[in-house]
Amino acid sequence: MTTDQILAEIRAMLIEIIGSEYALGLDIGMDTSFDSDLQLESIEFVRLATMLADQYGNRVDFLEFLASKELDEIIEMTVGELVTYIANCSALADAIDG
Amino acid sequence: MAEIIARGVRFHVQRLASRHRTSQPEHPVVFIHGLLMDNLSSFYYTLANPVAHAGATVILYDMRGHGLSERLSTGYRVNDSVADLAALLDVLGVDGPVHLVGNSYGGTVALGFAVACPERVASMMLIEAHVPIPGWTEQMAATITNIGSDLTGGELGRWMAQHRKHARSATLVRDMIAHTSLMADIVATEPLAEEALRALTCPVRAVYGEHSDVLHHADVLDGLLSRYTLTVLPDVDHWILPKATQALRAITLEWFTAQASVNA
Repeated sequence: MTTDQILAEIRAMLIEIIGSEYALGLDIGMDTSFDSDLQLESIEFVRLATMLADQYGNRVDFLEFLASKELDEIIEMTVGELVTYIANCSALADAIDG
Repeated sequence: MAEIIARGVRFHVQRLASRHRTSQPEHPVVFIHGLLMDNLSSFYYTLANPVAHAGATVILYDMRGHGLSERLSTGYRVNDSVADLAALLDVLGVDGPVHLVGNSYGGTVALGFAVACPERVASMMLIEAHVPIPGWTEQMAATITNIGSDLTGGELGRWMAQHRKHARSATLVRDMIAHTSLMADIVATEPLAEEALRALTCPVRAVYGEHSDVLHHADVLDGLLSRYTLTVLPDVDHWILPKATQALRAITLEWFTAQASVNA
């Protein structure tokens, strides 16, 4: 799975969460911030975690990813950090699967 | 999103599996958030995952009207919150005792649940818990009124309206205060009977902030509960979950580890 494919999937999830009306003026890319750009509510972030689990299953452990971060670090994350994490998880899962 | 219907209400529930099975205790840990501006996310990012790592199955839920759970116009008495929790656990198939972690009003619900169903509570951790003692309903009514005023015409409301991440929650809270029975239900809350609290036998760990406006509730509990341990965190007010997260996490893990060793 390429980084572009993952970014497209994450972008679709985020548009569903924040609503297409608010997303209309946003170009969601790797540098987009969950906080200052998307203004994501903390409960919406929980919803994103659920959508990631539905999409990627056991290949991606979002909570484990968050576990190493304090709340302010989570809030300041960019979409790119999440995409990179998922890409690394996918590559690892592929390597294990052979 | 996990949705569960209990008492006819659609609840948003998150379950975290234990990450450390070798010391897994038999009792799940249930987190109960605070009133109005709060939801399960405040625990989701702070205490829930470390507790799951320590060996617990963790259950978090948004109370009715909060977070991603359904908003009904009625049913906001403490007894309703207690009945909601009992029904949720029934639907989840949790019929044995649980450890409860309650923040602020979540602590009120935890205490109410323990009084109503003592056999279903293994232990409690109360964070800045509000205790329905005489005078509490007046304090709560004043707090809710102030929040409503701030959000409706105050500077806070204007600031929140300009930021997407706060505008939605501000609208929800305003709507909850103006268009549900919340205020009337809180005001109608009967104080918890002292003898009911004295009868509780489960261990209770309480944490309050040095500058909390409900610190006197800690002393009330101290005089009534037989197995009670209190920690007062210095230089912090009511908002210890976001402001003193690391200290609270350490206390929570210490509490949970102690409970797990009792259960083992």
